[in-house]
Amino acid sequence: MKKFCLGIESTAHTWGVGIVDFEGEIHTLINDTFIPEKGGLHPALVREHHLNNFTDVISKALLEANLSIKDINLVAFSQSPGLAPVLKIGALVARMLSQVLKVPLVGVNHCIAHVEIGRLMCKIEDPLTLYVSGGNTIISAYESNRYQIFGETLDLAVGNMIDSFARDAGLSHPGGPKIEKLALRSKKYLQLPYIVKGMDLSFSGLYTAAKRLLESPDFNNIYNLNDVANSLQETAFAMLTEVTERALAHTEIKEVLLTGGVAANKRLQQMIQYISDEHDARFEVVPLKYAGDNGAMIAWTGILRYLSEGGHEMTETIIKPKERMDNITVPWRFEKKT
Amino acid sequence: MSSEIYKEILIHKGAEASLWLGYWFGKKVIFKYRIPKKYRLEEIDKRIRTERTLNEARALIKVKSYGLNVPQVYEIDIKNPTIIMKYIEGEKLKNLLENLEDNKKDRYFRQIGTDVAILHKNGHIHGDITTSNLIITKGEVIFLIDFGLHDYSDTIEDKSVDLHLFKRVLISSHGNDYEFCFKAFLEGYRSEYEKTNKSECNQIIKNINAIETRGRYVKSEDRL
Repeated sequence: MKKFCLGIESTAHTWGVGIVDFEGEIHTLINDTFIPEKGGLHPALVREHHLNNFTDVISKALLEANLSIKDINLVAFSQSPGLAPVLKIGALVARMLSQVLKVPLVGVNHCIAHVEIGRLMCKIEDPLTLYVSGGNTIISAYESNRYQIFGETLDLAVGNMIDSFARDAGLSHPGGPKIEKLALRSKKYLQLPYIVKGMDLSFSGLYTAAKRLLESPDFNNIYNLNDVANSLQETAFAMLTEVTERALAHTEIKEVLLTGGVAANKRLQQMIQYISDEHDARFEVVPLKYAGDNGAMIAWTGILRYLSEGGHEMTETIIKPKERMDNITVPWRFEKKT
Repeated sequence: MSSEIYKEILIHKGAEASLWLGYWFGKKVIFKYRIPKKYRLEEIDKRIRTERTLNEARALIKVKSYGLNVPQVYEIDIKNPTIIMKYIEGEKLKNLLENLEDNKKDRYFRQIGTDVAILHKNGHIHGDITTSNLIITKGEVIFLIDFGLHDYSDTIEDKSVDLHLFKRVLISSHGNDYEFCFKAFLEGYRSEYEKTNKSECNQIIKNINAIETRGRYVKSEDRL
């Protein structure tokens, strides 16, 4: 008989539920995403949204997978990192489900889940991963029992930076796809700060400078929003690509995985494709459905952890809003590469 | 012949720059040329390569003025972002270390410590202190090279990270010599840095351990 894991994603604006069987087949993936009327993601409002919707999403997921809640053999939830009030809801619901159903419970690191679902969907063994989203900007690869971080942002996540800029420009959330479209209409480049410090990136200065361009009297005069959008993307993505290339040269890894919400951007894909080709590495973009936050990645990573380490005790399921992905070992990969 | 500037052979091709050996008015020189990157807009590419070339050259010139042994910059070609600098004839410390006598090891690493302390006291972070970036000449003069990752900083954190990186290199590439060498290095560093600010020096050295306990830098065997 097939065994199923129900995964709950609740680190930010997405309340996601996914059901995956222990063989790695995804049976359903339902997301309910909080979209603010104005402004960004206020943790209290996101929390309220999740609280109001969690039962519906779980029912919908079960219905779509053609399963009863009693068929679930394992519950996994996003334990780290993310917005604390939001993480708490996921943890709460997961603990409750596990107790009621009398099935094991396992907490999952959200960033590791992004890598794992990417490996599963793209059938990739040992990738260098560029994970770019609204909350994270990380270049990582497996080494010495964990997903080591080779480079990361020192301040804003690249997705957050683009979304914030879009908001300043009067575009509604999420701004990333809109900025991408606008950028296509421009060939003009306006100088913006390009900050790479060793292997790490900084986007805050870039954000401020782009915002200033909107406030300048030259705006809609000498240049327009399309030009700023283009310059912002070109600068930010060149920075990401440079660090990824360095990590690629250093690790000599032959597979590159692009994931996270920003992975949907065609221009970024093009740049990472370019360096992958130059280093004879296979390049894969995680399909958007699985690249963004979702419950299936939590379920799958939960299964991997459960099979190698067993479930977590209730006392081990405390949320960890700041946990880094390189803080924990990934035992299911130990034997693969030593 | 002596008035010519020409490249002779490519001696190293890195991810960011290629190094050529050649001649500059009869002097044996290194051409450090930053490679264009086609994935980014030409405007960005040109600017970044030019900026970095200038920054590196400036750093070399500045550091030289403190009396440290770094390559003399002869010319900067902004059009094709290149630094033309003195070729330091010698052997990488990396290749010498294994066969060095203890008293020499001690002397070298003490000297390196002193040099790095002078850098740090003046607000320079080398960013890539490795045994490959230290050249020992025939006359046993120690040169610090490759300021490609150089940065200006006065924070304890950045200085500790600089030292920590060197420590990691010693552990991973020269495990047997690590303890002896790093001890001498720190003694040299301390003796120089303490001349100006003893408490800051203590904090920098203490902070190396703090950096180690952070996930990112901890070796797996220390954690499992």
